[in-house]
Amino acid sequence: MNYFQLFGLDNQFSIDLANLSTIYQSLQKQVHPDRFAHASSQEQLVAVQRSTEINDAYQTLKSPLLRAQYMLELRGVDMPDEQATVGDVSFLMRQMELRELLAEIKFADDTDAAIFEASQVFESEFEQLFSQLQVQLSENTEQSNGLACDNVRKLKFYQKLQIELDKLEDELLDD
Amino acid sequence: MAYSEKVIDHYENPRNVGSLDKDDPQVATGMVGAPACGDVMKLQLKITDEGIIEDAKFKTYGCGSAIASSSLVTEWVKGKSIDEAAEIKNTAIAEELALPPVKIHCSILAEDAIKAAIEDYRTKNND
Repeated sequence: MNYFQLFGLDNQFSIDLANLSTIYQSLQKQVHPDRFAHASSQEQLVAVQRSTEINDAYQTLKSPLLRAQYMLELRGVDMPDEQATVGDVSFLMRQMELRELLAEIKFADDTDAAIFEASQVFESEFEQLFSQLQVQLSENTEQSNGLACDNVRKLKFYQKLQIELDKLEDELLDD
Repeated sequence: MAYSEKVIDHYENPRNVGSLDKDDPQVATGMVGAPACGDVMKLQLKITDEGIIEDAKFKTYGCGSAIASSSLVTEWVKGKSIDEAAEIKNTAIAEELALPPVKIHCSILAEDAIKAAIEDYRTKNND
């Protein structure tokens, strides 16, 4: 049973997160240790394993990038190793520029404005790749799945940029 | 997680940080990125007509291990021929810096950066 089936959802990229959370709560309730207090140790073990599986499924489906990656795996797409590097030069050049933009925020006259500007840039570029990913996943051809795979890998860089920006914001707030 | 002394040394005193003139025909640029951690690395090599690497500079955005890995390879490649540099393996980098398993991808990034730079050099010089 795959994660979508476990949650009784259609195998599609677009998901209602509130609904997902509701299903998650009710599934976890079914395997709650309290319900198995008087069960055999075998049954208790199965309940714990199932609870872990429900949790893994929830974490995967909740995150758009993990969900996309999971869908591609289900489709049998050969995902590059997690440690494989990206060599798309123009994309990486852009990443360097964005990292420089991030590094310069500290020296801006108005750091709040600089943070806001950077987040706008990151967000709009993320959204652009993300909407391409949505189309590629729904096309579901060998070619589009390959492109979706590349896009998932690229989007991870934007996730990292956002994390760095949040970290910087916290640092500047502390000063 | 504790960094090894060598990582800290390279991180605090990175060797050869900076850029070379990318329009110089002798300069090759290698760019790589690691999706696992979002690190981006640029390695530039200045290569003589005899195919010897006379200078190397890097710019890396990433964790301490990624910075240390790139700093280390700039030291290692200087004076080497491009064929010798192409032989540098990530395992040697990881071993020298005593990288823990979760940071092996940083050494892979550095190895791939050397390869990308050499490939750039070969493309530039075959035109």
